[in-house]
Amino acid sequence: MSKKLSKKALDKVFWNWFFWNGCSQQAESMLGMAFGQSMAPAIEELYDTKEEKAEAMQRHITLFNTEAQVGSICNGIVCGMEEANANNQCTPEVISSVKVALIGPTSAIGDSLWVATIIPILLTICLSISQGASTSMAWIGAFLYLLTYPVLTCLLSRKLFYFGYKSGLEGMSKFMATGKMDILTNSMNFLGLLVVGALTAAFVTCSIPFQIVKDVFDATTGEILTDQVIFNADTMLDSIFPKLLPLLLVLCVYYLYAKKKWSPMKLMGVILVLAAGLTAIGYLTGFYV
Amino acid sequence: MSVIQIIAIAFFIYLGSIGSIVGNTIGWYALGRPLVASFIVGLIMGDVQTAMVIGVPLQIMYMGNVTPGGAVAWDLSYATYIGTAGALVFGKGMDMTQIIGLAVVFAGIGGLIGQIMWNVSYALNLPLNRIADKYARQGDTKKMYIPNVVYGQLIGFVCRFIPAVLLLSSMTAVSSQGDFASMIPGWVTTMLSTFGGMMAALGMGIILSFLLKKKWQICVYLLGFVMVTYLNLNTMAVAVIATLLAVVYYVFQIEQKEVQA
Repeated sequence: MSKKLSKKALDKVFWNWFFWNGCSQQAESMLGMAFGQSMAPAIEELYDTKEEKAEAMQRHITLFNTEAQVGSICNGIVCGMEEANANNQCTPEVISSVKVALIGPTSAIGDSLWVATIIPILLTICLSISQGASTSMAWIGAFLYLLTYPVLTCLLSRKLFYFGYKSGLEGMSKFMATGKMDILTNSMNFLGLLVVGALTAAFVTCSIPFQIVKDVFDATTGEILTDQVIFNADTMLDSIFPKLLPLLLVLCVYYLYAKKKWSPMKLMGVILVLAAGLTAIGYLTGFYV
Repeated sequence: MSVIQIIAIAFFIYLGSIGSIVGNTIGWYALGRPLVASFIVGLIMGDVQTAMVIGVPLQIMYMGNVTPGGAVAWDLSYATYIGTAGALVFGKGMDMTQIIGLAVVFAGIGGLIGQIMWNVSYALNLPLNRIADKYARQGDTKKMYIPNVVYGQLIGFVCRFIPAVLLLSSMTAVSSQGDFASMIPGWVTTMLSTFGGMMAALGMGIILSFLLKKKWQICVYLLGFVMVTYLNLNTMAVAVIATLLAVVYYVFQIEQKEVQA
């Protein structure tokens, strides 16, 4: 009689992973312990003797890492493989090597598509809602995010888990081979870039507090106009290209972070120094009083 | 802040940190986001309106801070809860741009402590491997949750909750010393608001590094930028247009692929 995992055990595996994938993260096995705990209900159901259980448990607390929300597909695939193993259709060596092989692609997809694209986009939409609403209703954006993000992610994560269990590694590689994943990533990137561009223009501020104020003699009326701004650094720059300075600042940060590998802490320090410098200029030239 | 407020905020700092009991999806990726964090602090402190004014710029600034794991620059949860709470406590009587600047500074302080505590918990979790190993060797599947959830959580909770309570109580003690709006000199608040506005560039720059895969894509970014500066659209409008364009782009690519095949 072939062994089959019950729906209850599979659900337990999923929820264990969904809630506690990051509980015991450390440098030795990364998410290994969490993965082991997640797999425990499946192992309990598939194997009869203590020895078999011990052997199976030991191969699931080893090094494992992924972007956990999209990575639930790994748990699904491994559940399927353990089931096959219990029916003598798979070997522990294959399970272990597949697990290691899954780390790369699932983290890459999870990090670039879900974490670095979906979250910022959803946050941006919710931010815009907060911005657009009246001040007394500004919380609505935060509330929407708090509601939609966990629910959507949970649904996706669960779907991926069962997809992994049912179609296994072949199913996943077949889907990857269609190239739809790349196209989806491309399109999401496109969306993300447009939105980040808009956010830059709307929220980043940076200005040079410098202007020249003089009394001007108006020849047509013969009057002396006092305190006329004859030169303002920001007005001048904006007439060339609106919000030029904020844009340059962002591109500078991007360059230093992505190409020069500066840490965010270091960048923060530099921005603080710049802000202090600009403030000093403002006070020295009499822009601020 | 009252004792109850301090405990509530410290508890949410723990919930919003990486690997809390509610999971990263609800914790780190939702409760830990500055937009949500400021809303919750606002609820606890009874001033949601001001809290949301702080939350939006903090969210922009930390937009790039998304990935958990070794690459964490700040523990975002610490940064934003402390940032919003600090700004609400010390910013009484200041105008909004100054309050935002204040929030940025407190977020920096909170983030620094958060980063230290993350490293501490990351190290303290190491011996848990031995416990997991022991139970696995015994084939004790029913006990596998002990190292991961019980001990992992205990370490996580102690590392987040206790320092947060200490920090928030000392902030409360200092703030009761006087009226800070009148004590802080003008140039400091001017600098704070300049700093706050410029810090948004940090979040945007980091998120760009995730999204820019090819050089030409900088044009897409600039397109989003000029939609706001030249066309005077708000960010929501751009988000809607961007979604529609992305769908068109997706279908276009799929069809092109089918033609090739």
